[in-house]
Amino acid sequence: MLQRCLLSTRCSSTRQWIRHNSSFPVHRFAEFARRPASKHQIYQSLSTDPYVNLSIEHFLLENAPDDSSILFLYINKPCVVVGRNQNPWLETALHTLYNDRRENTPANDSAVFVRRRSGGGAVFHDEGNLNYSVISPRTTFTRNKHAEMVVSALHRVGAINTSVNDRHDIVMTPSDVTQADRNEPPFRKVSGSAFKLTRHRALHHGTCLLDSPNIHDLGRFLRSPARGMIKARGVDSVRSPVGNVSSALADSFFSMQAVMDNVVEEFARLYNVNADAVRRARRAHAVEPEIFAGDNWVSGTVGDIHGDEEPAIAKGIAELRSLDWKYTQTPQFTFSTYPIEEDPRERPPLPASLSASTRAFLRLKHGAVIESNISISSDASIASLQASRVHELLNGQKLHEMTVERWADILQQGLSATNGVDESSIRALAKYLADMLGGH
Amino acid sequence: MASVARAFRPIASRAFAQKPVAPISAVAPAFRFPRGTRSFSQSPLAQVKKYTESHEWIELDGNKAKIGITKYAANSLGDVVFVELPEVGLEVSAGEPVGAVESVKSASDVLSPVAGTVISGNAVLEDNAKTINASAEGEGWIAEIEVSDVAEVEALLDEAAYLETVEEH
Repeated sequence: MLQRCLLSTRCSSTRQWIRHNSSFPVHRFAEFARRPASKHQIYQSLSTDPYVNLSIEHFLLENAPDDSSILFLYINKPCVVVGRNQNPWLETALHTLYNDRRENTPANDSAVFVRRRSGGGAVFHDEGNLNYSVISPRTTFTRNKHAEMVVSALHRVGAINTSVNDRHDIVMTPSDVTQADRNEPPFRKVSGSAFKLTRHRALHHGTCLLDSPNIHDLGRFLRSPARGMIKARGVDSVRSPVGNVSSALADSFFSMQAVMDNVVEEFARLYNVNADAVRRARRAHAVEPEIFAGDNWVSGTVGDIHGDEEPAIAKGIAELRSLDWKYTQTPQFTFSTYPIEEDPRERPPLPASLSASTRAFLRLKHGAVIESNISISSDASIASLQASRVHELLNGQKLHEMTVERWADILQQGLSATNGVDESSIRALAKYLADMLGGH
Repeated sequence: MASVARAFRPIASRAFAQKPVAPISAVAPAFRFPRGTRSFSQSPLAQVKKYTESHEWIELDGNKAKIGITKYAANSLGDVVFVELPEVGLEVSAGEPVGAVESVKSASDVLSPVAGTVISGNAVLEDNAKTINASAEGEGWIAEIEVSDVAEVEALLDEAAYLETVEEH
């Protein structure tokens, strides 16, 4: 590796550094990505960290030349990814995800929660889901272009029953056998799309459920216990029945890498990419990041190391991981256990552990309480006193910092001064609110 | 995009033609431009409002200005579902985000055409983001800023120059 570094440094002022049979040191990824001549770029990621992959992608969006076209493929470890303007308390089941809201939660296998920079709805990723991302000039971009590109690739592996629908998603019509089943929906979504547009650039990234082991259980991560009580500004997810592409194919023919190779081929066809770039991009056996480059192309594999080494990527990772971005970026919303003017839906019954007179209402802006009405007394004047005492303590609190202990503390202080409030009803209410709002 | 531009042109030229009969209140701020920074060879009314290549408009009123996205941008983005408004007091440089718009799964930043400090965001958009589609260059303004240097507005595109950039696409 050292020898390669020396060699490429020495030769970098001439065109001789374009070599076709050996890779460049990985730290030159950012340099090649920024190079004005790098018109076509194709990368696969060896990282399974969604924060790293989304930040490499963002780096490419912000730094690659304005006229370049880039394909970036990655597979994330299990995670729930919500759109930029969505609400985690409404769109995800926080209790099923890794608890990043408590400091020192030990690392575990739980799916992580991510808010991306692009628009759209909530999706689930795992090792059977391929993420494709195309960054191209805004002037020639259309919303269906790259979904069609992926459909062509899916057709090439034999999934001929896939097509793009009017939501720019890829759907699959079930085979004749399953169509006989009345419970089978007419379409199953296999891929969802989201976009980010900047001055000169358009980013289109999409999921593609190829062979997810969680396919029958995705809803578990995306169904909030509080969905009957939250009314949120921002963007709602559109729920769709989902399917794996592999389900339409004979098992022996399916591999994730075959799909990735075909997506590369279709991208190359769409943008007339040099054959060497394609050959280098299709290195299924790569286990370490490596970068290849030609006159007007770059291709290769990237990984966690680029998150550590390139400051702009490291900054992006820190932003995506920050609780500010994940939680306080949430558009204004209300949580209410009883019908209110702006959310008059009938409410589900409260658990038996709470007295029937219990009421809880919160209004949150930037993820912090700006209005509340929490009381347990059936006497209107006592309830009003309770609510104002609790609000004094609750006002300005960030919801993602409200653990069950903190709820208990605040309710204890706010409610116990009034008559007839026992310890157990305070604990029950604290537990209920924590269960609903990720305070476990 | 080209078809959108074609569809849009007649409306734009109509708007242009109507400029001289704009409300008289818009005349006053034009006279507060620093002397010598611009030519008054044309009607000043047509130049109170300026545009950027990234499809924002800015309309100056004294040292305050409203900012929004152009009709062309609103058309090409499709149904707006959410608008991120800036915080009051936010200081921005030219080209920095002063809000963001989401439409059809697409997030796009709204860039401030000039440096300034945010005075207000348009609260109408909080409850009705589609106002941008209905009136991108009127009721659907996104932010009002206090402009640091009104001369900076001068360097921006006038309507005709902006429409030319749109037609190139």
